[in-house]
Amino acid sequence: MGRLKSIKLLILVAIATLFIAACGADKGASVDGKKKDDKDIQVVFIPKMTGNAFFESGNNGAQEMAKKVGFKVKYDGAPEGTVANQVQIINSAVNSGADAIAISSVSSDGLNQALKKALAAGVKVVTWDSDVDPKYRSVYVNQGTPEILGKMLVDMAAGQMDKPDDAKKIAWFYSSPTVPDQNSWVNYANKYIKEKYPKWEVVTTQFGDANEQKSLQVGGSILDSYPDIDAVICPDSTALPAMAQAAENKGLKAGDVIITGFASPNSMRQFIENGTINNHGLWDVKDQGALAVYVAYWLAKGNNLKVGDSIEVPDMGSVKVEPNTIQGYDYTADDSGIIVLPERIVFTKDNTKDYNF
Amino acid sequence: MSMFNKIPRWNLTLFVLIVAEIIVFGMMNPRFWNVTILLNSFNDFIALAIIGFFVTLVVITGGIDISGVSIIGLTSVVTGLLSQVAGINIWISIFCAILIGGLCGLLNGVLIAYGRVQAMVMTLGGMLLYRGIAIVLVGLSGVSTYEGISGFSEGFGQIANGEVMGIPHAVLLFIIMFLIAYILLHRTRYGRYIYLTGINQNTAEYSGINTKKIIASTYVLSGLSAGIAGVVLTSYLGSARSDYGSEYLMPILTVVVLGGTFITGGKGGVVGTALASIILGFMQVGLQMAGVSTQYIGLATGVLLIVSVAFLGINSEFRFNMKRILPQKQNIGG
Repeated sequence: MGRLKSIKLLILVAIATLFIAACGADKGASVDGKKKDDKDIQVVFIPKMTGNAFFESGNNGAQEMAKKVGFKVKYDGAPEGTVANQVQIINSAVNSGADAIAISSVSSDGLNQALKKALAAGVKVVTWDSDVDPKYRSVYVNQGTPEILGKMLVDMAAGQMDKPDDAKKIAWFYSSPTVPDQNSWVNYANKYIKEKYPKWEVVTTQFGDANEQKSLQVGGSILDSYPDIDAVICPDSTALPAMAQAAENKGLKAGDVIITGFASPNSMRQFIENGTINNHGLWDVKDQGALAVYVAYWLAKGNNLKVGDSIEVPDMGSVKVEPNTIQGYDYTADDSGIIVLPERIVFTKDNTKDYNF
Repeated sequence: MSMFNKIPRWNLTLFVLIVAEIIVFGMMNPRFWNVTILLNSFNDFIALAIIGFFVTLVVITGGIDISGVSIIGLTSVVTGLLSQVAGINIWISIFCAILIGGLCGLLNGVLIAYGRVQAMVMTLGGMLLYRGIAIVLVGLSGVSTYEGISGFSEGFGQIANGEVMGIPHAVLLFIIMFLIAYILLHRTRYGRYIYLTGINQNTAEYSGINTKKIIASTYVLSGLSAGIAGVVLTSYLGSARSDYGSEYLMPILTVVVLGGTFITGGKGGVVGTALASIILGFMQVGLQMAGVSTQYIGLATGVLLIVSVAFLGINSEFRFNMKRILPQKQNIGG
């Protein structure tokens, strides 16, 4: 008897739910039509993963910008940086009625379906730090073109050498052989080395898969396999601290082997202060986060993007929208472009304390 | 007797929870009441629901299978390699990939049922082994594990992304896989044997049931379901990667346990698993739409799990145990 009653109740509740859901469907549709105020514009700011100093700093910049201008930024990422998690977050951003998303993508093609749906729903898509297929986003807030960053990497290493024109043995160490951004920098850097320092020899290129433990092992094995190495350049925020740690574990100082690359100053300060490394570089990720959400907000407000135009950004002045070709893409369109961050920073003992990210 | 009474009542509780979720989240963000959004959210938990249905069968026999999370990645990679690198027809590739999922399950099942290896140890080993194989396969093909294999046809993408008369394929797939599991478990002699094996393997064996075969077969089913989940996820996300599914380990166990299946075996059902996966899926979407950051959702899931398991415990058995404790205290006092 009790079971029959439960089933009846179940059916009743089911009908009630469907009814509520059906009413809700109409309501959901009518929300859209109105024009939005600044404070109603919501940008979802998506990192590759949460809990990483680099992305948390990007978020700090994004939140400050949102407060200054008066729109809303929701920081939404999962602790594991996987494609499935990012897709789920994009979907729910679209579903919950966000106006724009600013994302650092974990994959250059895995998000295409989700972004296609987002664009179809009228959500503006901006990428920062790590780009997607340019067809599926309006603007990529780029930390620097391959030319700028590749040259910067080589110069940071060469600047520490007494005679950079002599024969030197150097190694590359970053996340993976097909990660788009880092590979493009290294490709250009190798070209630049050939022109400017033809006697340099790249003895090895190693990968740490953005995994801290693996990176530490790889770092150690580079030093073991090539005891006479002159410089290891690590354009990856996991590889550089791991490489420095590996050198410190072996008691090597900046005078023994030059280690440089890209990572946040907070993660490298101890190595600069104890003399394991002399310098490393990065862009101001707080500015990058702030710029990404501002551009997303600017697009969500209904402004039309045109490659070649400039956008006025509070406290940052005017930034220019460049064509996709500066990053080496074939796809070009009037409403798809790249904004390059105006400056990059080299951190040394003198200035590392001035930055907190 | 109590088994037949308790389980439906628990399912009712789960159903009320879903309704409560829809009402509460809808009040926080009215867009949650949009049927299309709710139906589309199935896409984001379909893989773990599919595996959950068949892991339920494994758990009812008294075992556990945690290797599914790696079989997802392996089948995804196999699908990608066969179709994109080797150039084999996509549907044949899918078939082979799911078959490999089944083979992984067979290996688990044979060693557990006939080799008497502990299920947790075996499937833990399987989890590491299958993930490893997936990474090696990707490495051999010259594609980086970081990027994945892409370039699938539009037709393949439709498996997960398409819809029939406004109903997303994910929902249909959810229903189909649920029905298969439901009929197997609740409407066939095979299903009855699964329960009997879980309640007491020796008794079942003496009554003439080939319990080893039953146990091994549940792992094969679980492996096949993980294979299907791997293909679905590959289709949904548009590229094949070895790390797919790695974040599903705890959610799979959560939907099975929250669904009312006893981790000790013998009791449970797939209806509960289905309801629990919807609860989990809706909660993720609902909390996100209510403005909660994704990284805090695990916290809510944990609370839900502990509270519900505590509720599951507060039943006749719990009261019986309490009665046994309380008079003892009186005795000590006296």
